[in-house]
Amino acid sequence: MKVYFELNGKAQYVDVEPGESLLSLLRRLGMKSVKEGCGTGECGTCTVLLEGKPVRSCLTFAPKVQGKRVTTLEGLGTLEDPHPLQRAFVEAGAVQCGYCTPGMILTAYALLETNPEPTPYEVREYLVGNLCRCTGYRKIVDAVLLAAEWKREGRWR
Amino acid sequence: MRLRGVKRYHWARDVDEALSLLSAYQGKGAILAGGVDLARSPRTDIEGLIDITGTELSYLRADSAGLRIGATTTLSAILDHPQAREYGGGVLIQTLRTVAYPALRNMATLGGAVVSAHPWADIPTLLVALGAEVTYQSPEGEKRLPLENLYQTDFRRVFREGVLVEVRLPPWEGAFAFAKITRNAGDIALLNVCAGLGLREGRIAWARVAVGARPARGERLTWLEAGLVGEPPTERLWEQVAQEVRARLEVGEDRRASAGWRREVAGVLVRRALAQAAGKAAL
Amino acid sequence: MAVVRSRTKEVVGQNVLKVDGLPLATGQPKYTMDMDLPGALIGKILYSPHAHAEILAIDTSEAERVPGVVCILHHGNVPRVPYTTAGQGWPEPSPYDTVLFDKKVRYVGDRVAAVAAETEEAALEALRKIRVEYKILPAVFSIDEALAPGAPVIHDEPDAQGIYDPQRNIAAAVDIVIGDLDRGFAESDVVVEETCEIPYSQHCALEPHAVWAYFDEDGRLVIRTSTQVPFHVRRIVSRVLGIPMARIRVVKPRIGGGFGSKQEVILEPVAAALALRTGRPVKMVLTREEVLVSSRTQHPYRVRVKLGARRDGVLHAIEMEALANTGAYGTHAGTVLYNVGSKSLPLYNKARHVRFHGKAVYTNLPIAGAYRGYGATQGFFALEVAMDELAEKLGLDPLELRLKNHIREGETSPIFERLGEGREGKAQIVRSCKLAEALRIGAERIGWQEKRRTPRREGSWAYGVGLACAMQGSGITGIDMAAATILMNEDGSFRLLVGATDLGTGSDTVLAQIAAEALGVPVEKIVVYSSDTDFTPFDKGAYASSTTYVSGNAVLRAAEEVKRQILAVASEILEEPVEELVLAQEKVVSLRTGKAVSLEEIGLRAMYVANQQHIAATASFACPESPPPFAAFFCEVAVDTETGVVKVERFVVAADCGQPIHPKLAEGQLEGAVAQGIGMALYEEMLFSERGSCVNRSFFDYRIPTALDLPEIETILVPSEEPTGPFGAKSIAEIGINGPLPAISNAIYHAVGVRLTRAPFTPERVLAALRAKERR
Ligand SMILES: Cc1cc2nc3c(=O)[nH]c(=O)nc-3n(C[C@H](O)[C@H](O)[C@H](O)COP(=O)(O)OP(=O)(O)OC[C@H]3O[C@@H](n4cnc5c(N)ncnc54)[C@H](O)[C@@H]3O)c2cc1C
Ligand code: FES
Ligand code: FES
Repeated sequence: MKVYFELNGKAQYVDVEPGESLLSLLRRLGMKSVKEGCGTGECGTCTVLLEGKPVRSCLTFAPKVQGKRVTTLEGLGTLEDPHPLQRAFVEAGAVQCGYCTPGMILTAYALLETNPEPTPYEVREYLVGNLCRCTGYRKIVDAVLLAAEWKREGRWR
Repeated sequence: MRLRGVKRYHWARDVDEALSLLSAYQGKGAILAGGVDLARSPRTDIEGLIDITGTELSYLRADSAGLRIGATTTLSAILDHPQAREYGGGVLIQTLRTVAYPALRNMATLGGAVVSAHPWADIPTLLVALGAEVTYQSPEGEKRLPLENLYQTDFRRVFREGVLVEVRLPPWEGAFAFAKITRNAGDIALLNVCAGLGLREGRIAWARVAVGARPARGERLTWLEAGLVGEPPTERLWEQVAQEVRARLEVGEDRRASAGWRREVAGVLVRRALAQAAGKAAL
Repeated sequence: MAVVRSRTKEVVGQNVLKVDGLPLATGQPKYTMDMDLPGALIGKILYSPHAHAEILAIDTSEAERVPGVVCILHHGNVPRVPYTTAGQGWPEPSPYDTVLFDKKVRYVGDRVAAVAAETEEAALEALRKIRVEYKILPAVFSIDEALAPGAPVIHDEPDAQGIYDPQRNIAAAVDIVIGDLDRGFAESDVVVEETCEIPYSQHCALEPHAVWAYFDEDGRLVIRTSTQVPFHVRRIVSRVLGIPMARIRVVKPRIGGGFGSKQEVILEPVAAALALRTGRPVKMVLTREEVLVSSRTQHPYRVRVKLGARRDGVLHAIEMEALANTGAYGTHAGTVLYNVGSKSLPLYNKARHVRFHGKAVYTNLPIAGAYRGYGATQGFFALEVAMDELAEKLGLDPLELRLKNHIREGETSPIFERLGEGREGKAQIVRSCKLAEALRIGAERIGWQEKRRTPRREGSWAYGVGLACAMQGSGITGIDMAAATILMNEDGSFRLLVGATDLGTGSDTVLAQIAAEALGVPVEKIVVYSSDTDFTPFDKGAYASSTTYVSGNAVLRAAEEVKRQILAVASEILEEPVEELVLAQEKVVSLRTGKAVSLEEIGLRAMYVANQQHIAATASFACPESPPPFAAFFCEVAVDTETGVVKVERFVVAADCGQPIHPKLAEGQLEGAVAQGIGMALYEEMLFSERGSCVNRSFFDYRIPTALDLPEIETILVPSEEPTGPFGAKSIAEIGINGPLPAISNAIYHAVGVRLTRAPFTPERVLAALRAKERR
């Protein structure tokens, strides 16, 4: 079947299989930042934003994005022009193996959209579904708080 | 990950269309709401997915008859809704913010939770304690009944050809509280409790207590509730409650917890939830 | 060589940006599976549903007829070469008890056959259609069952090599005695004994095992794989498949975590065999369920520790007995076993009488392998809980007891010499140790004295504090070797080629810092490439906490040689003797005249103008000793006495890793390892059915710590100067995982007076222990 949607600001009109996951579709479209860590909704590495809200692309049937807006990490910033959150993750030392990073950053992005001044506890609460085996989370929390500070200072675009 | 065997995906325009598609598939179609359970399902027999999230069933309304929540309302939408905040002493918020994690709550629907009715889930325990009524449509027409009664029937069969449309939560004078224990954050419950009570002149006017994940699905402890009415809400009473629950609660074991632990801790959680509810009700 | 006038370090010790940080944070396609190849086949594996069975017949005819199926491999059509999946140095210490596909299966999840097909669906359908006739054999699931007389023999194949005692299911064994143990205990005033147990648990790197195998334009086999040990992959695949090493190229892209699970050569030979048979690119990725059931696990251990001390608290005798369940195959069985003792016992070197003995036993459960901590975790759990008990019996503060007994700078332990890597070790002196300081700083940070004195209670919650110490090594003495190549570009930048395997640890960054420091350039001038067996020199791989120390020393040596060449060219240009020249800030300056020449000028001249040469060097470093890092762990827990729930309220770790090359990365290693240790202490356990099948085979049921479960882990680096380390550095990657189990157990004891000796400390176990104490 055909699905029409917006991916990182660009219109897409693509073939999908009715039982296919959004994870599979996005990776087919070259969005390799969307990672499969479990395929069953429990790790968060496949998180993307659907209409600005974090969802698990492995549990989202691809046809569900019909007419909607999807954002992956590729849509947030680039190597040449990274998003402040991406810079904050690197500066705070929140990236070790990096496999959880795309899902973490997108989830943090959604958090800061609705709560620009989160407490460390609120950051942890919002990231509870995003597993990281490398960092022990401390520097991830630091990164989100750092980015929040930058955002409040008007240093986000 | 993909659900294998699916041949077609339908966007139902309304409940009637969903119903006729369901019957056309003769058991090989499935209603799809948030999809978090269906996408994890190992089933290979589903040929048609019938998405009902475009059928205007996502709403939350409050009136004198309590809250009405459309079946496809996501857990996040409930959490964000101002009118959900006050209800039952804030118990919807207290419970739902411990369900899984934000991204799952953005997808999962209340109706899906009612229908999948996982034995370990918190939402059935919550809704049964709250005396929720559910409305569903089937080829035989529309039906409304207490969720508790529905769960006593072969409800999975009902939803093979029917569609849940709404959950109604009656108004309560008093407050509820929710308690659960998980292995770690974001985990499903090893045990969950929802308890509520109303106070009149310093005594308990009504009480409702449901315990779930034991490992069977949440059910009320009517034998306990009756004995609470007319009693003053004191520490001594809660201690007695804990003992009675330990003595009488039906529990079982699974790989996550033993019957012995569940029995002992259920008493503690019921005591804590009731004490907390009494505190809120007294405000 | 030029006289290096002392100058402050400019790059080492700085928190430079991680060299792969931004590419990862912007989601660049850097991992194994982020590459697509046209015409690729999907490889899938058929697993055994039985714990122990003989394969009587395999019928693949129906499976072969599934459209899209191209190739099916099983024991009947592949060569039988006994090997070990452990990616270790050579000669390999682990037994050769594995073949590609066997006629016998030894656990639920053992490999039976592999399929390559055009699509995943076709491959999966083919798996369902392979008919296997099994003769079910009796199975054993515990150490005791496996050791019982008359137990079924798990490895009865005649061609296995290196098994300690196959008839008795013993993969490896050890027994060393120093002094006279009986006398030691007889002379002790106080004796305590504790047995601690760790269950099956798993690494849970978020990236599952993944591999590509394909042939390049020259017909050479390329294996792009998520591995910690590219060179061992090449050697093992070459031997198992009989392909000359020169025809294999192993590429390691970015890795999504390993923790030891990717020090195993699991998928590579299978994918390579499928590619070889079909001539097509083959891609294999494990699902999370496959990772949990059929990859590798931590070694479950039962460790008994008996301590004898004099009245003054000085240890006099130590006995440690370690029993491991190594599962169906003996990968890392002996080496982990040796490390239980070799990485823990030297810490308390005052004891004169020491015995360490143990066995690693085969069972019909999943395969245990390398796991961060590598035995030390299991050893320290029992040792440090026993130390806590000893302190209590002696009426001493546990902190005091540690300070009285731990090894100091300039001291040694006979253990270093007696216990090595599955064989004898090498004597060594501890040249750097700041453990006493770490203990003091950590104690202060957590408020040890006060919290010990007055345990807090709030309602049903009881609070307590506990501590533990640990050490590790930095590489494997006498075995590990790493090499590095540095090439200068004519613009004054450098390429650093290392076989060292950054698996998310940040080692590329650390190695670049070491090179940059030695070459007097900023890190941005160093392009690091790791690792590709065609282009990077040999490195043993990322394990045994070896990269910073062993690979780092290799980089330093290469950099020093490159620097020598640079100075020689500069001396020609400046017409001054090398002795007067200093390389710093991207130029060479004469101390005498102040004349300077930039690296770019030097590069251009050497490359194009005079005495032409490519300024470049390769250097190796073989690990002559393995300087241990040390750490002190302190935690505060809250125990709900009514439900048994335990929460870690605070966790402080103070560690001596020598001079941290990159403090933030070092902290990150500690924080991650502590988090993993807290997971082991509180949540993680693989559970099995009566038939030996893992039942919690997803993150839904196998729980690892989330952001909400952990406190803000407080890390303190307590630098020492390791004279043999690159810029004074030692290792940091593993040690953090050794502390949480005993520290948390000891804190629970302080809070509620019960000793938890079986991990994880679930509400159920804690409550049961509390009730048992009440009944006493
Ligand atoms: C990782 C994870 C963690 C979880 N944690 C918790 C937790 O902590 N506490 C808790 O209480 N729950 C928890 N849940 C359960 C969760 O609340 C439910 O799975 C979710 O609400 C299902 O909603 P859905 O809309 O996604 O269902 P779907 O997957 O769309 O549907 C589920 C089932 O219900 C049927 N169905 C859905 N809607 C209707 C309808 N309106 N009429 C008829 N049939 C319908 C479908 O056909 C399907 O059989 C968890 C689930 C997951 C996956
Ligand atoms: S891959 Fe989707 S949550 Fe793990
Ligand atoms: S950085 Fe490796 S999983 Fe988070």
